[in-house]
Amino acid sequence: MVEKFHLELDMMKEHTLEMGFLSRTMLKIAVRALKNRDLECAAWVLNRREDLTRWDDSIEEEALRLMALYQPMASDLRTIACTLKMITYLTRIGIYGRDIVVGLNKVSEMPPVPGLFSIPRMTEIVTSMVEAGLKAYATDSISPIESIGKRDDEVDALFFSTFQECIAAMTGDPEKIPICTNYILVARYLERCGDHACKMAEKVHYMVTGERITIE
Amino acid sequence: MEKRPSIITTKNLNLWYAEKQALADITMDVERNRVTALIGPSGCGKSTLIRVFNRMNDLIDTCRVEGSVLIDGEDIYSPSADVVTIRKRVGMVFQKPNPFPKSIYDNVAYGPRIHGITEKKELDRIVEESLHNAALWNEVKDRLHDPATGLSGGQQQRLCIARCLAVEPEIILMDEPCSALDPIATAKIENLIDILKRSYTVVIVTHNMQQAARVSDFTGFMYLGKLIEFGETTQIFENPREELTANYVTGRFG
Repeated sequence: MVEKFHLELDMMKEHTLEMGFLSRTMLKIAVRALKNRDLECAAWVLNRREDLTRWDDSIEEEALRLMALYQPMASDLRTIACTLKMITYLTRIGIYGRDIVVGLNKVSEMPPVPGLFSIPRMTEIVTSMVEAGLKAYATDSISPIESIGKRDDEVDALFFSTFQECIAAMTGDPEKIPICTNYILVARYLERCGDHACKMAEKVHYMVTGERITIE
Repeated sequence: MEKRPSIITTKNLNLWYAEKQALADITMDVERNRVTALIGPSGCGKSTLIRVFNRMNDLIDTCRVEGSVLIDGEDIYSPSADVVTIRKRVGMVFQKPNPFPKSIYDNVAYGPRIHGITEKKELDRIVEESLHNAALWNEVKDRLHDPATGLSGGQQQRLCIARCLAVEPEIILMDEPCSALDPIATAKIENLIDILKRSYTVVIVTHNMQQAARVSDFTGFMYLGKLIEFGETTQIFENPREELTANYVTGRFG
């Protein structure tokens, strides 16, 4: 019975990782769509929304079923608790990817502002943070998430500078207001994704060590 | 959890059955008015340990105890300790309900009578109060003089708890009290344990980890006669410090 339980627990983790990579990819592709004005990429992201919800529901179901049938304890219990929180954060991250492309549809006819300020760099860091959380979760080790707080500080600083630069650009040229407003929103979404990645890392830290931490 | 004074303290407790060592170097504190659970695989010494607390092991000729066991600061293994008094202070409930082949009333009145209470009014009061406290009164009040063996298993077990309460113990030892009961009878006993701890200290041995997690404040995990880990129940089940404990509570044992 116990063997079967651990097999099922591993399956649940596999599913969560798949969901995690889907969320991460949605975010990544959304920013690529924004950068290249690529509506095909945008459509791909929009179409993944349902997959995300399906994962969210089915993993929650798996987790509840495992709790009901096996009354897990210690690290097994912490894994399930962590998973239940993770899928919420991952859903949010994926939905921010969708929000980015929803905004893109509205501004795709407008002349782009070259460079997108710090948005590509923010995306790189945020996706690396999500990946670190997933790696830590997959390997039961906290080393991948050790520097996550520092990386989040970097994301916050980039959000602030993007905000400032967008304000400056809009002040200089009112025609840029719609697109820069959109960039501010995108930067804000990415900053929120960074926060979700940190919350995820906190939960994984608890899962691995049994000790609760707060990432400032 | 706020610290309460200990009622049982063992120091370097060792116990042998002839040549075989069953308990090794057990040092632990049981806090007053708390439920303490002992868990561990079969043969780990958990039943032996609770039997030490009311000297039930005295009945086994080959049994030898070293180290100290203090109840309220008094060494219960000192030559001057009186076993009858100890067993009055430390009651016990066993795995299978074992009512005497007497009436419900006589089962509960048995202990008080032995301790010299003969007045009917006083006995009536003790019987009613004990049955109330064991959450059995409403089910048996109209048939107190029926044979106890006619009760269901769960009722018999609560009767045994009432019988134990009738002599006003301070500590109640329970050795697998629910393992012969169905889930509903089990839930009744678990609720009862929760109420009993207001007035008594409960030490329970159980194979059912979920039960230990549900009813106890503290849990000790034993393995091969040693107390491997002792701590607050939430810590033991959520975040055990010892690998052996973690392996046991997650079922990865062996």
